[in-house]
Amino acid sequence: MRRGLFSLNLSRKTWSGIGGAVPPILYITLLFLLPVLIFLGGAFDDTPRHLVRSVSDPLYQRVLIDTLMLGLYVTGICFILGYPLAYALSVMPPRWALVGFAFLLLPFWTSLLVRTYAWMVLLGRNGVINNLLMGLGLIDTPVSFLNNMSGVLIGMVHVLLPYMVFPLFDVMKRVDGSLLSAAEGLGAPGWKIFLRVYLPLTLPGILAGSVLVFVLSIGFYITPALLGGGRVATMALMIERQVREFLDWDFAAALSLVLLICTLLVSIGLGRLLRGKEIHG
Amino acid sequence: MIMFDRITGPAAARLLLATAATLLASFPAALSPARAQEPAKPAQIVINDSGGDMQATMRKIFYKAFEDRYGIRVVTTSPPDLGKLRAMVASGNVDWTVTELTGQEAIDAEKAGLLEKLDLNIIDLSPYPEHLRQRQFIFPKSVYSTVMAYRTDKFPGENHPKSWADFFDVKKFPGMRSLQNTPLENLEFALLADGVAPDKLYPLDVDRAFKKLDTIKKHVAVWWTTGAQSVQALVDGEAVMGTAWNGRVWALMKQGAPLAIEWNGGAIKEAAYAIPKGAANSYWGQKFLALAAEPKPQGEYANTIGYPGLNLESIKFTAADVAPFMPTYPDNLKKQFWTDLVWWSENGNAIKERWARWILEN
Repeated sequence: MRRGLFSLNLSRKTWSGIGGAVPPILYITLLFLLPVLIFLGGAFDDTPRHLVRSVSDPLYQRVLIDTLMLGLYVTGICFILGYPLAYALSVMPPRWALVGFAFLLLPFWTSLLVRTYAWMVLLGRNGVINNLLMGLGLIDTPVSFLNNMSGVLIGMVHVLLPYMVFPLFDVMKRVDGSLLSAAEGLGAPGWKIFLRVYLPLTLPGILAGSVLVFVLSIGFYITPALLGGGRVATMALMIERQVREFLDWDFAAALSLVLLICTLLVSIGLGRLLRGKEIHG
Repeated sequence: MIMFDRITGPAAARLLLATAATLLASFPAALSPARAQEPAKPAQIVINDSGGDMQATMRKIFYKAFEDRYGIRVVTTSPPDLGKLRAMVASGNVDWTVTELTGQEAIDAEKAGLLEKLDLNIIDLSPYPEHLRQRQFIFPKSVYSTVMAYRTDKFPGENHPKSWADFFDVKKFPGMRSLQNTPLENLEFALLADGVAPDKLYPLDVDRAFKKLDTIKKHVAVWWTTGAQSVQALVDGEAVMGTAWNGRVWALMKQGAPLAIEWNGGAIKEAAYAIPKGAANSYWGQKFLALAAEPKPQGEYANTIGYPGLNLESIKFTAADVAPFMPTYPDNLKKQFWTDLVWWSENGNAIKERWARWILEN
């Protein structure tokens, strides 16, 4: 009797849970998944010529590799900068952490174009940074920060850093301090505590942050176009050109499909790699 | 025909009826009597333009005049986007009453069947240059020119680059360059630098142009994408000379930037307006274009932003002190060439892919 009542309650809850999920699932299916599938369907013409061209043309091969490398660079730099930053925020007194978050979030509320042009003003040949460095006598001729890969990396890391810091911060906040104390009590040196205890415990944050940053970075378009001075091409740029300029949406779909598959493969691979390390750790 | 717009009330109705009657007599089956009535006024029409300074100027001159004359509000969106236009027409959900397009976009849109026919009974193109009077789909909005601009502090007095040959001569005129990230017109500039006569440019010798561009590639600091970026590169000193649209350079010259325009070899072309196929209130879109064809607002627009209209009478409304900064000023016009956008529309895609490949090669 009691058990029956319990199971009835459970199933009611389950049903209402499923019922609640129907509208968002329908919404996403009808307004997002279906149009995306219809669009990607364009890649499969009568012949696979669009797909063949998108993987065999040296131009698109080169741009695809450049895009994925750019994603890896940005993810790596975000990790190197974001890990200590997230750690510092997680151990700070809450009031100071709040100030830190404010600085981290400030660029979030600024338009992407404004941020990009602001970097041009800062990084240019006669920009603030070069003038400062020359004023201090550290350099004689301006350093080219802009219109090359370095400009693109600076601009993209600036935009994407919060996506690395937030998952890390979340995980670090939940790390059980007594585990670290225990390791210390058992005589482990600081670097060992970090490598064997702290790093494995924060791996889920690293994984989540890396996948977020990587996936977002390989879809970037305007930042590479403006800060790269035209020298850094991304797949998004190639797809945009097919859609807007050449009106060849079927080929655009093929390029999108290639990028989507690569994104999935790299994300899954990255996840496997990090999870594997977690077990060994 | 321009005056026709200002006739209101019974006179207008009579005229319209008379026109309709004539047309009905000649094509009795094709036209319904509904044509005779002016369509109901909507609360607003949507005009899609380039935004920024251009939109502000358009608002002040053209949109305000339209609102005052017809009591229809003009709502603006931006920027022009060929892909979006195609999606709108394909889905039958056209937001724009009128959209701005670059010259080449307009040709591509016409080819793809994305445009509504211009009603030349409403839009008066008779004061336009003869080759534009029978335009079917593309309204010639204004002209602009991709010109060479240079820093006057780096090249003072008469010692400045005066031709594309000078632009490509990094020994005589040292310093970094900036060029637009497209083969369009850069190929023409390279061929002019290589000694091809302006009237012998088309069909372009693509291989020869790329070979000439090879010689300057490593001296190009910026391959610009947006109009703002083109002049930013010059003002910030990333480059000492580069290409830019004439109005962009002029706007900064007026603010005292150390820049000058060399009109020699400039690439002049049309900017366009068009009515998307299936646009709601397309009649009022035609009415807007009729207003945009008038010389007075065209002259005022040129005074502010440097892009003259193509109504030949608009020069009367252009201030004498700004005329020398217009691409259509006679002294300037004879130094420039007209970009053959039809040729580019037919041959451009393959060249643009080659360009993308060329840019990525070291």
